[in-house]
Amino acid sequence: MGSSPLDELVDAFVNLEEDKVLNLVERLLKEGGDPVDVLEACRSATKIIGERFERGEYFLSELVYAGEIFNRVMEAVLPKVTKEIKPIGTIVLGTVQGDIHDIGKNIFKAFSQAAGFEVIDLGVDVPPERFVEAVIEYKPNIVGMSGLLTLAIESMKKTVEVLKSAGLRDKIKIIIGGGRVDENAKQYVEADEWADQATIGVRKCRELISVMA
Amino acid sequence: MSKMPEELIREKSERLSRVMELKEPDRVPLSFASCFGEFMARYSGITVDDFLFNYDKTRESAVKFASDFLHDMLVLAPGAEGFIFSVAFSNHPDIAPLVRFLTGPMHDILNDKYTRWPGRELLHNIPFQFIGGEFMSLSEYDDLIEDPVEFIIKTVLPRTCGTLEAPGSQQAMAALVRLGMESLKFGSFLGALGADLARVGYPSLPITFAYCPLDFIGDFLRKPTGALIDVRRVPDKVKSACEALIKPILNVALALKPAGANLAFIPLHLNEYLAPKLYNEFYWPYLKRVIVELYNNGIKSFVFFEGYHDAHLETILELPRGWGIAYFEKTDIRKAKKVLEGHSCVMGGLPIPLMVSGTPEKIEEYVRNLLKDVMSGGGFILAPGVAEIPGETPIENMRAIIKAVEKHGRY
Ligand code: B12
Repeated sequence: MGSSPLDELVDAFVNLEEDKVLNLVERLLKEGGDPVDVLEACRSATKIIGERFERGEYFLSELVYAGEIFNRVMEAVLPKVTKEIKPIGTIVLGTVQGDIHDIGKNIFKAFSQAAGFEVIDLGVDVPPERFVEAVIEYKPNIVGMSGLLTLAIESMKKTVEVLKSAGLRDKIKIIIGGGRVDENAKQYVEADEWADQATIGVRKCRELISVMA
Repeated sequence: MSKMPEELIREKSERLSRVMELKEPDRVPLSFASCFGEFMARYSGITVDDFLFNYDKTRESAVKFASDFLHDMLVLAPGAEGFIFSVAFSNHPDIAPLVRFLTGPMHDILNDKYTRWPGRELLHNIPFQFIGGEFMSLSEYDDLIEDPVEFIIKTVLPRTCGTLEAPGSQQAMAALVRLGMESLKFGSFLGALGADLARVGYPSLPITFAYCPLDFIGDFLRKPTGALIDVRRVPDKVKSACEALIKPILNVALALKPAGANLAFIPLHLNEYLAPKLYNEFYWPYLKRVIVELYNNGIKSFVFFEGYHDAHLETILELPRGWGIAYFEKTDIRKAKKVLEGHSCVMGGLPIPLMVSGTPEKIEEYVRNLLKDVMSGGGFILAPGVAEIPGETPIENMRAIIKAVEKHGRY
């Protein structure tokens, strides 16, 4: 394959060569490369990584590291980004009250950023009121709630109720994620979508914003 | 059905030792384990708070459970993961085993950041939670490598335990004295519990504890994700740190050897996360050394392989035959039994969703089919897929499990 620096970047990212990725990004930006192309390359790399994970070729160790590399790339690229990169949508994301599992949430965050979403991360153990404040402040298209404990399902339900009584429910779409969520959980908490894999979650978020548009 | 306790103890001990020797016992042994006490507390009508903070009630509750749900092996440890405290005292074999579990009262004394407890950081009547966190920076690997025990005592514990934050202060000294007093209470609780259980026909398990070095780093020092990233960024340091942790870990496990312990429980965490390449480079070599070293010292291992261990199953065959018990969570148990046949004692098999949401009929059918596939040749212990009886398990489902083993597990 004739390889442009961007192809090289994709390869290095898919192979999780952190130093090489960061060097390439730095070089590309210094040589006047378009930050949008750099992010685009990283996006396609995370897509390939996600597919490898779904096929069982990559493990969590790779997903976690890919998320970390992506964060470093973002740190390097964001300052160069001019206003012209418009996020395709905004997600307010958090692990719900009572739950502190965030490995999956962070992976979903990196993958959805890679797909072009702006993500406001509220962290873990996030009380319903905090979600409400964030929705008012950031006016997201989507609220993403993560949770792995059984009790997280209750917290999700409570969060949806609080969003409803704040009159915000129909201004947003809600997606829930985490190992234990499924169609039943989605209906129970009255969310719009659910996903137990980051790549599927990103796909669903894309669908959600296209419906809204 | 009214056998004398001594007879029951003899039967159960024989059953367990035969499976450990990879032979067929009279019937497939059934094991239950609990740390959180949710099921036991609910069944015996006490709160989870009481189960976790009042040793007398814990004892009553456990004995009631053991008498009403007859099984073969009860692993009960009403406390959170506290192996770091054992490592801190690993040069003091009289103390190390007593602080292996961080009990509720010990949490009150230490004010640690590793855990949250009912009626404290959590609502009442729910089990404690292990939270963990990042308590060591990347640049501190060298200190850890140089002297893990000193580093933990002087640097990590002051960061992780509120009352130890100013070493040498009145508060810190008092906390350590209190911890000593509390751990004695806990020790005598365990002794009394053993005696109570013997009275209702349960042998005491000669158990001790060890750990996998990389899990130690993930659970107590760098967070699980931190450990996963460190293996990429500072691979040599991670290896040296794992190496340096082996000795204190072995010291903890061997502390109970003079008292007759011959089975070391080792709960794994990062195993399912790691791609085989990383597993074989950063995880398994050090875990294997711990297991083999203990084996050479007359101590078998009892390893809980958390999550899916399917990708690493074959590596277990590198251990000496009869090294101990491989307890699986979500790994395909039929495949595990096949791969490890004649080499390791395999444990597990009862999926949590089945226990919680299945019916007694479904459970019987499941156990019958499973045992048909895995019991021949012996070396198999039936147990829930998690080292915990889920709190919401219906009582009739517990009874169904016991009945099904009795009916379909005879050799
Ligand atoms: C790692 C782990 C921990 C770590 C957490 C570290 C951390 N910072 O996250 C520690 C050790 C701290 C921990 C603590 C506890 N844990 Co824990 N933990 C796990 C474990 C082993 C893995 C979870 C994980 O990271 N999976 C990998 C990630 C990538 O998967 P994921 O979260 O599903 O995420 C994917 C998708 O769901 C999706 N996704 C995730 N979030 C979102 C959000 C959106 C919007 C979308 C669209 C998608 C999405 O994308 C991800 C990538 O594909 C699981 C067991 C297991 N094998 O699942 C238990 C488990 C979740 N824990 C459990 C328990 C009980 C606990 C404790 C209560 C234990 C205790 N008593 O101490 C505490 C609770 C702490 C708390 N308050 O939350 C139970 C939950 C049981 C239950 N039904 O409630 C489990 C299932 C273990 C078990 N079998 O019993 N735990």
